[in-house]
Amino acid sequence: MQSRNIIIALVLGIAIAAGFALSLRDAREPVVSLTATVLPAGNELPDFALFDQYGAAAGRSVFEGQWDVVFFGFTNCPDICPATMTVLGQARRELDARGQNPLPRIVLVSVDPERDTPEAMARYVAYFGDDNLGLTGELAEVRKLTDALGVFFQKAGADGEVYGVDHSTVVLVIDPEGRLKALFSAPHEVANLVHDLPLIMAGEQ
Amino acid sequence: MRLVTLIAVLAMAGGCGGHDNPPVVATNVVVTAPAAGMPMAAGYLQISNHSGAAVRITRVSSPEYGSVEMHETIVEDGIARMRAIPVLEIADGETIIFERGGKHLMLMQPVGKPGTVTLNFYSDDVLLLSVSTEFTAAME
Repeated sequence: MQSRNIIIALVLGIAIAAGFALSLRDAREPVVSLTATVLPAGNELPDFALFDQYGAAAGRSVFEGQWDVVFFGFTNCPDICPATMTVLGQARRELDARGQNPLPRIVLVSVDPERDTPEAMARYVAYFGDDNLGLTGELAEVRKLTDALGVFFQKAGADGEVYGVDHSTVVLVIDPEGRLKALFSAPHEVANLVHDLPLIMAGEQ
Repeated sequence: MRLVTLIAVLAMAGGCGGHDNPPVVATNVVVTAPAAGMPMAAGYLQISNHSGAAVRITRVSSPEYGSVEMHETIVEDGIARMRAIPVLEIADGETIIFERGGKHLMLMQPVGKPGTVTLNFYSDDVLLLSVSTEFTAAME
């Protein structure tokens, strides 16, 4: 009986020691932390009816089939929109240089559809890189998308042709099934995007 | 540091005496289009006040643009808001930085093709600073 207790004690001791060793090893494992906030399940996008920069109809399915990195801005925005689009373009080129495959597409959704015609969007998005997508259309249709995604925008300082638009600075990541998968908050940095996007796209987060 | 100040004029009482350098100086001046073909441009620079007194910039003009406004992008709670700066106060010894995502000049209604852009900074009707730089077509 005594030897049986000794064996049980030994087994328990080994188990505890092994568990402790494992816990130590886990503690030493590098933790991959992301700047982005990842939504494990992914949120479905709503139906909407917009136009791409070529004037072609673009609904929810335009987000299916590839990873998209989406920003909401407007072509008459002199400062933060081009700065953000520049960062996104640089990040995409850096990912390309590192052999990332597939590359995410950069999408600009206009929060100033009154002035942002498909032609204006075409000139604008092409400036920041190849294969970019621009979406514009009726204000109510833009609202369907932004409201569902929690993206804010509001015309500010309306004064004829000269006005601005207050808007969210968030950058959204949409997966090939057309689900909101992650979001980056400003300030946006190329290094953060280059680090996080491959992990998000690989489903490792 | 790139110094592109061409002329710095300060017509303030007691503001110029004893200074070897211009009392109000602009450095790192960039005027750039947000994207190719866009009608407006953004201006970025640093303005330093060595005049011995505070200065107030109340107006900016450019012969190359019909309208120039001082703006500031303010990001609060994830929302970017652009607001006009009606008067820019610069304390003696202070440097104000106009940079992406912050204070910037918004240049609208271009006159002709962009080339050399001159920016004139006024305190009421007094020309404080005049600076010229080459227009940069690309923001990057």
